[in-house]
Amino acid sequence: MRKATAIIILALVGYYFLSVFLTVPFGEKRNNVGQYYLHNTVRETGAVNSVTAIVVSYRGFDTLGEVTVLFIASLGLGAILFDKKGKKRRLQHASLIVRVGAHMLYPLIVLLGAYVFVHGHLTPGGGFQGGAIIATGVLLMFISYRSFETSHKALTYIESIAGMTFVLTGLSGLIWGNSFLQNVLPLGEPGRLISAGIIPIIYIAIGFKVGAELTGLLDNMLKTIKSD
Amino acid sequence: MIYYITAILLILIGMYAVLTKKNIIKIVIGLSIVDSGVNLLLISIGYIKNGTAPIFSVKGLTPDKMVDPVPQALVLTAIVIGLGVTAVALSLVIRLYDHHKTLNIDKIRKLKW
Amino acid sequence: MNFSPVHFIAVPLFAAFLIPIVGRFSKEAVKLIPGLVLLYLSYVAISLYPIALQKPIVEIIAGFKPPFGISLYFGPLAAFLVTMVMLIGLVIWLYSYKFIIREPLEKYYMLFMLVIAGATGIMITGDIFNMFVFLEITSIAAYSLTAFLRDKDGAEAAFKYLLIGSFSSTFYLLAVMLIYANTGTLNIADIAAKMQTVPNQPKIFIMILFLVGFGIESELFPLNGWAPDAYSQAPSPIGGVFGGIVVKASTYAMMRFAFVLFNFHSMFELILVLGVITMLIAEMSAMRQQQIKRMLAFSSIGQMGLIMIAFGVGTDASVRAALFQVFNHAVIKTLLFLAAGYLVFHSGSKKISALDGLGHNKPITSFFFALGALAIIGLPPFSGFWSKLYILTSVAKGGFLASVVLILFSGIIEAIYYLRVVGRLYFKKDVSQDNVRRTPISGLVAMGILAVVILYVGLYPHQIIDLIKPAAHDLVDKAAYIKYGLLH
Repeated sequence: MRKATAIIILALVGYYFLSVFLTVPFGEKRNNVGQYYLHNTVRETGAVNSVTAIVVSYRGFDTLGEVTVLFIASLGLGAILFDKKGKKRRLQHASLIVRVGAHMLYPLIVLLGAYVFVHGHLTPGGGFQGGAIIATGVLLMFISYRSFETSHKALTYIESIAGMTFVLTGLSGLIWGNSFLQNVLPLGEPGRLISAGIIPIIYIAIGFKVGAELTGLLDNMLKTIKSD
Repeated sequence: MIYYITAILLILIGMYAVLTKKNIIKIVIGLSIVDSGVNLLLISIGYIKNGTAPIFSVKGLTPDKMVDPVPQALVLTAIVIGLGVTAVALSLVIRLYDHHKTLNIDKIRKLKW
Repeated sequence: MNFSPVHFIAVPLFAAFLIPIVGRFSKEAVKLIPGLVLLYLSYVAISLYPIALQKPIVEIIAGFKPPFGISLYFGPLAAFLVTMVMLIGLVIWLYSYKFIIREPLEKYYMLFMLVIAGATGIMITGDIFNMFVFLEITSIAAYSLTAFLRDKDGAEAAFKYLLIGSFSSTFYLLAVMLIYANTGTLNIADIAAKMQTVPNQPKIFIMILFLVGFGIESELFPLNGWAPDAYSQAPSPIGGVFGGIVVKASTYAMMRFAFVLFNFHSMFELILVLGVITMLIAEMSAMRQQQIKRMLAFSSIGQMGLIMIAFGVGTDASVRAALFQVFNHAVIKTLLFLAAGYLVFHSGSKKISALDGLGHNKPITSFFFALGALAIIGLPPFSGFWSKLYILTSVAKGGFLASVVLILFSGIIEAIYYLRVVGRLYFKKDVSQDNVRRTPISGLVAMGILAVVILYVGLYPHQIIDLIKPAAHDLVDKAAYIKYGLLH
């Protein structure tokens, strides 16, 4: 009964959704701010990847908020699961093949993550993606080695320092330029690794922060597995 | 076209899970599916037929043939936010399971309005 | 360095990132930093206020002019609300200083500060997607704070809040994407200028999405199921944060969009009707509550209904009255939550029946509660009287006489259940055994400040009305918002 009601209501909602979205033509070019960004990114920000330019430069304030959301999530997780900390977790041994494989892959995954966030302004990718890749490497280690531990102190420091770097980079724009997050460095030659002003700095900080935060999240959740 | 329909279907499937499932982990999964549907919808709004990625990685790419970069940037933010919400939701699930020793929402509901 | 509205966001975020490092060395500093940040931001708010009154401050971020970059819009309305938020935040911080003894302290203070930063962000941002980000900052921090006590009901209330809240954000995001698809921009002023070109069907859909999305956060019926649980299960100061800050931020957003983007006549009527229903149902439910914090939560929903009615009338006078009520409700409800926090603490039970005779045992806290109760009912020497009077006259002038009757009716219900509690405090025999624990000085000072504000506004309402007039004008005047927002 309940399911039938849900299906009927959702069908009506879905029909209405679709009828509205069909008024938006699919796959056509529209005159919008996106076109402005495409035509001016390279000149104004020095970044080749215009998505990165939007995320870090044009809409950098959003990204600051986004980093904060992740920060709050890890804070909230820590607060909600607070007294669960310190319990030893007990996972099954992974097989030898998995352990050896994980051991070999782990540095490569971290390296790939670092590559992705360092080249955020040149290739697809960036701080969030790179950080997430690094966290998957740590996750691999967590499931293969039951004794694998991360240092909480180090994670806290990385998180905090990376976050403060972001805000301070923003404030430097307020001090030496006219506005928060304004680029105060030379743009360089587009396409080079060292170019695009403050974008690489911010993306590297984000990469560290996201990597540390996601690792912290995983660690917090794993700690809740009970020992017997 | 098909992208809109798929994305909206995903949103509806997620909402269906949230509305009818009894297991709170499945409800959280439903929330994630809704998020994915919304993100897919947002991405497909920015699509341009035969467009390329908005990255000037090779010489000769012109802005005219590129898809709209703004929805992609927005989706990046939305994904991270969805991740944060899911993480907090899962930690609440852990807490709830701790207190009630069950994941069935009918046995958990005590506060009513 | 000149003050700029960016400080409202950048400084608390910087402090939040700093606290984990400081927390390794000193616990006391962790408690102090949020207070210092709020004190500094109050100073910034007050020194920016006169400038904003002359001409709205539009702060460009990253050096790109709107609509291409994100901009902050700090007009008279934002100045008014932000100053209010900072005042309340400071008071709640002072109260928390001795009240919150439960670990993890540093996480409590960081989350508390970030809720305030997020709510401030909603009030000052000029970009629709940026508002989504701040909305999420506020709500994720609010979910975590609801479950902060880590008890059974807290986790359940937070989970419920999270479920409903994520629907709210999904709807908001859908609205944002439809707006972007139709107008090609994300800057609110630019959208307002281009909104006429949008065909009617998507426009109505966007309106519904906004109404549902913000209706959830501003406790509109029937979307307010999360509120009583979240208010009553969160730590008491956080109840004050919800009622005084979080809800006000989303109400602001709803009203800003209602006036700037839509200006449909039918939308305001809908808001009015929803407001009336919300108010009536909430006040009736408040009557039946056995727990004091749940009663306050329902009363808070009822007051939000009253505010929505005044906004729904949509005339200049009623918007002014509504903003006045926003201010009064924020101050008074915070005072009530703070006082109730210690009453619950002293009586050892959340039940109203446990409060018998506390007025003799804990005279000062009970006095503050009684003062807040009388003020929110709307008795003459207090601030609540003036705003209710203005709402009634403006609603009557708008021609909604039935609403006037219903407001008066719900006012009577409100008076009954508040006076019932006050009566229990003073005219019942003392049953509590708690003679040892005192209310700490910091808590008393916090409540005292709010009580002084209530009395002062009650005695000299014209000073605050002088501030509300430009704020209401800022909200209603669409043309000026577009003009300043786009830097023309």
